Amino acid sequence: MDAYLIAIAIITAIYVLLALGLNLQYGLTGIVNFGHVGFFCVGAYTTAILSEHGVPLVVSFPLAAVLAMAFAWPLGLVSIRLREDYFAIVSLGFSEVVRLVATSERWLTNGVQGIAGIPKLFAGWLTGPAQSYAVLGLLVAFNALAILAMLRIVRSPFGRMIEAIRDNEEAVKALGKDPAGFKIQVLVLGAALAGLAGAVYAHYIGYISPEQFLPLITFQIWMAIIMGGVGRISGALVGAGILMLFLEGSRFLRDVMPFISEVSMASVRLGVVGLALILFTMYRPQGLMGDFTRK
Amino acid sequence: MSGFLELAISGLMSGLVIGLAALALTLVFGVARFANAATGDFMTCGAYAALLGFGATGSMVVGGAVGLAAGALVGMVSYLLVFRTLEGRPSVSALLASIGIGFVIRAVLGVVYGHGQQVFQLPLVRPWRVYDLRIQPNDLKIGITALVALLVVFLVLHATPIGRRMRAVADDPMLARVSGIAPRQVMLALWALSGAVAALAGVLLGIKTVVSPEMGWEMLIPVFAAAVLGGIGHPVGAILAGVLLGVLQEIATPYVGFTYKLALAFVILLAVLLVRPKGLFGRVEGVR
Repeated sequence: MDAYLIAIAIITAIYVLLALGLNLQYGLTGIVNFGHVGFFCVGAYTTAILSEHGVPLVVSFPLAAVLAMAFAWPLGLVSIRLREDYFAIVSLGFSEVVRLVATSERWLTNGVQGIAGIPKLFAGWLTGPAQSYAVLGLLVAFNALAILAMLRIVRSPFGRMIEAIRDNEEAVKALGKDPAGFKIQVLVLGAALAGLAGAVYAHYIGYISPEQFLPLITFQIWMAIIMGGVGRISGALVGAGILMLFLEGSRFLRDVMPFISEVSMASVRLGVVGLALILFTMYRPQGLMGDFTRK
Repeated sequence: MSGFLELAISGLMSGLVIGLAALALTLVFGVARFANAATGDFMTCGAYAALLGFGATGSMVVGGAVGLAAGALVGMVSYLLVFRTLEGRPSVSALLASIGIGFVIRAVLGVVYGHGQQVFQLPLVRPWRVYDLRIQPNDLKIGITALVALLVVFLVLHATPIGRRMRAVADDPMLARVSGIAPRQVMLALWALSGAVAALAGVLLGIKTVVSPEMGWEMLIPVFAAAVLGGIGHPVGAILAGVLLGVLQEIATPYVGFTYKLALAFVILLAVLLVRPKGLFGRVEGVR
């Protein structure tokens, strides 16, 4: 039972990292990124492929984040100036192309079979529960750093600038600032968090394949930050918690009701994510943690 | 050479399907000003409904009609239940909600029909030979159907009172309102039209390939690319761009491989947005 709870906590922490990145992009800056899973995927594959070739984790881990940033930067450069809904579709297309490459470039990614046997974190030093605790500790540290960084950002001139961009981009332009430059920086920062999350995920699960990086993941994170409260750090935490409760809860539901096949359960999950997106954007756009007095 | 031409013809057919779906997307985009990401799933709805109608009667015409009706219904229901409430909110809300609608549609179809692939059991017909070319009679029928559909949409937009009102709302919603046009009614008709056109694209795609819950969602990027390439809010442009994209995709297949078809659509989308954001025929707005 203990092991199970730790496993849940680890996955939740990975979702929190993803949600923090998206929250920085959408919640603080207003970038509608529908391709978050693409950076997650880049991070996971980077560290997996490097480890396969014997590169130590100390090197492959930061490189995962760096490569995710290296993908985000050109994407931002060419498309961040687009209107937000255009950028949304372009970023969705980006994440699909990343998945396509992971599927078809067999020499690099082993195609649909995926990469197995990715070394566990701290494998040399720790075993059993201690190892899981260490992974969780590492994730908590990452999250704490990300949250601290975000708190600093919010109170800095940079933070005021990106929030101004979110609230009124035209006004920012009229003041002689270049919103695109700031948005690219935010996109790259968020991608770094997603890449890092991907790296931890790959080493924790030990096996990755293109099937794990469907756009559904992106929208699960969207559901998390919208439910939790857009633009709030507590929102990312609460949202990721709800997402995990829902994903794990649906698994238990299947234990209780075995007549529902795993395939239909996947459909039901998809439907619930869809419904949550619809209902929250319609009736509670400020999320659960948002201002209750405002409609 | 004839192999090349056959690829081009096959591209023309898939291009007409993309073009029809892009038409459905552009109709809504031009008026409601957001990209309806559920367009692909409206296609899927149409295909499954047509499968139902076809299975019950054995007639593809009846099947197609059922598909169209289902698409129109789904379009109207999503407007009434969701998009009507979201009018006037930032376009991101409507976009997110449309993603949600797509998920719900896929979920329902997945639970009811499973994730397996289904096909229209149409009789096999020997292809016609014109000189060296092999032409499938079914392809011809698909092409004619798509062209007729385009004609009908064009007539609705330009020769009926409701179409004139639609164009008025698309041009300037406030002015249309001041002139005494009831926006609700126009929007409802628009969503019905868009849903039906998307459904038709789905039915044709289902006949050409297979029917599965993800079939429409997977078309979203090419369809969006075609809509942008044709110029948002430009019906003829959407069809022409769709055909162009379809032919390009087919002709490029021997060079870039089957799997990178989607990547090609993505690259074209990016290129258009960067170089000529108003598309080939765009005139309405230069916003990107």
